[in-house]
Amino acid sequence: MEGVYNYVLSFVLKLYCKPPLPAPPSPSGAHLHWHLHQEEHVCMLFKIVFCCPRISVTFVDKDGDEKHINVPIGMSMLEAAHENDIELEGACEGSLACSTCHVIVMDTEYYNKLEDPTDEENDMLDLAFGLTETSRLGCQVIASPELDGIRLALPAATRNFAVDGYKPKPH
Amino acid sequence: MHSRLAYVARNVNSPRRSSKPPSLFSLSTLLFSSTPTAHPQIPPTLEALRRRLAAESPSLSDFVHLQSGSEYSVEVGTKKKPLPKPKWMKESIPGGEKYTQIKRKLRELKLHTVCEEAKCPNLGECWSGGETGTATATIMILGDTCTRGCRFCNVKTSRTPPPPDPNEPSNVAEAIASWGLDYVVITSVDRDDLPDQGSSHFAETVQKLKILKPNMLVEALVPDFRGDAGCVEKVAKSGLEVFAHNIETVEELQREVRDHRANFEQSIDVLMMAKKYAPAGTLTKTSVMLGCGETPDQVLRTMEKVRAAGVDVITFGQYMRPSKRHMPVAEYITPEAFENYRALGMEMLHGIWQGFRYVASGPMVRSSYKAGEFYIKSMIEADRAASLP
Repeated sequence: MEGVYNYVLSFVLKLYCKPPLPAPPSPSGAHLHWHLHQEEHVCMLFKIVFCCPRISVTFVDKDGDEKHINVPIGMSMLEAAHENDIELEGACEGSLACSTCHVIVMDTEYYNKLEDPTDEENDMLDLAFGLTETSRLGCQVIASPELDGIRLALPAATRNFAVDGYKPKPH
Repeated sequence: MHSRLAYVARNVNSPRRSSKPPSLFSLSTLLFSSTPTAHPQIPPTLEALRRRLAAESPSLSDFVHLQSGSEYSVEVGTKKKPLPKPKWMKESIPGGEKYTQIKRKLRELKLHTVCEEAKCPNLGECWSGGETGTATATIMILGDTCTRGCRFCNVKTSRTPPPPDPNEPSNVAEAIASWGLDYVVITSVDRDDLPDQGSSHFAETVQKLKILKPNMLVEALVPDFRGDAGCVEKVAKSGLEVFAHNIETVEELQREVRDHRANFEQSIDVLMMAKKYAPAGTLTKTSVMLGCGETPDQVLRTMEKVRAAGVDVITFGQYMRPSKRHMPVAEYITPEAFENYRALGMEMLHGIWQGFRYVASGPMVRSSYKAGEFYIKSMIEADRAASLP
């Protein structure tokens, strides 16, 4: 419940922060990152002040570039990726109708902490390109405190073609 | 390949061949041919053709560079390498009186349009009437939520969308009848969750519209109904003029681009079944998005297969990414390349098949874009041709 409340809170705050602000006043004491967009500052300020519990997640893209983000508890990895401009598609918006949000959990330890995938998720995962033993759909991995520090690798592509009759191993 | 070369050689002296500029197709056969000295049995007329082509048309090297050079397509910018969008991809923002009128009526009757749901770039042009002043909109029935999640589509997805509104067929018929259109396109979302997949609701909408306006031309852009013949038959016999079902992309990219439940063979089967069940004179139509990562060769092969299935109309448009949640654009195809595909589609004289009845091809062309004008124009042309002694 706490997770849901915090997620709803952060969503409401994000909505509140939407309208653009006038030019920033000269800094007066508070150490904020002025190179960020104006809306993002105020959002961040609100988030820090209101203290939504967040976990740290690292996305590693196919070139090996890493991006560390903070994900509020209760948010899915797909939503977090979209909020932070990470290249993760989500064609079916998290309704388990596609496999475009496929992510690979880099540490088996974290993979084991996740709840088992449902049959629907498994069906979609079987269609994913570059499937591994620790693959999950990003829309089904929800941020929780024990996942703090999780590293997620983005697959090389979201294509589903079978090269030389490759068949993904069933879970 | 060799048979195509022989075909070109056979027709080299026909007056038709010499009056038209050579198509992409014939150029491709020449590209794969061997040098003249290696085949002494090739008739000297091929030499004459080569000389004439070299004089009249772009050289073979231009064709070879077609895909890698700027004549075929333009690279797409990414976050790491930002590039400006090509000029031909810009559209004006929708607005104006007709636009607001249509929008108001839609909300009043609780109707959805694919124009809004899929973020079509032509929305401003079509709804405001464009050059001719006749506004068109493509109504989307069976709700605004689809059961499938294709990588190119912005329509909402859910495993359990709300049940369709039973008043929708009447509302749609009333709305369209009130707009005084001559041609309308009705489309729908996929409803794999319903027992009849929405086919009876669809057929009912077309029938009700036909009752209100018997002379209106109706095009139905239908889902594949998972290949179910009964569903296809129901819609095909509902009284429409054009049965459209989009294959979306080339055969090789079907699994990459479309939902896993859709595939090329199933879509082609639907188009063939529609042709079979629908009354004579009904056209079948399909649409392809370019710029998803296909090669020209794949497009040509797909066109051949589609024409072989008896499809009368094909449209080509540039894929545009609705949001970053969707598939990235592979390349922006140039308007010249689109024109080449159109010319090819109209000619398409390979073996015994005739070209398509009409081909709409351009970066901003969509399945329903100016569908009415094209249809009427091609009908008039066909009637004129038939009336010639």
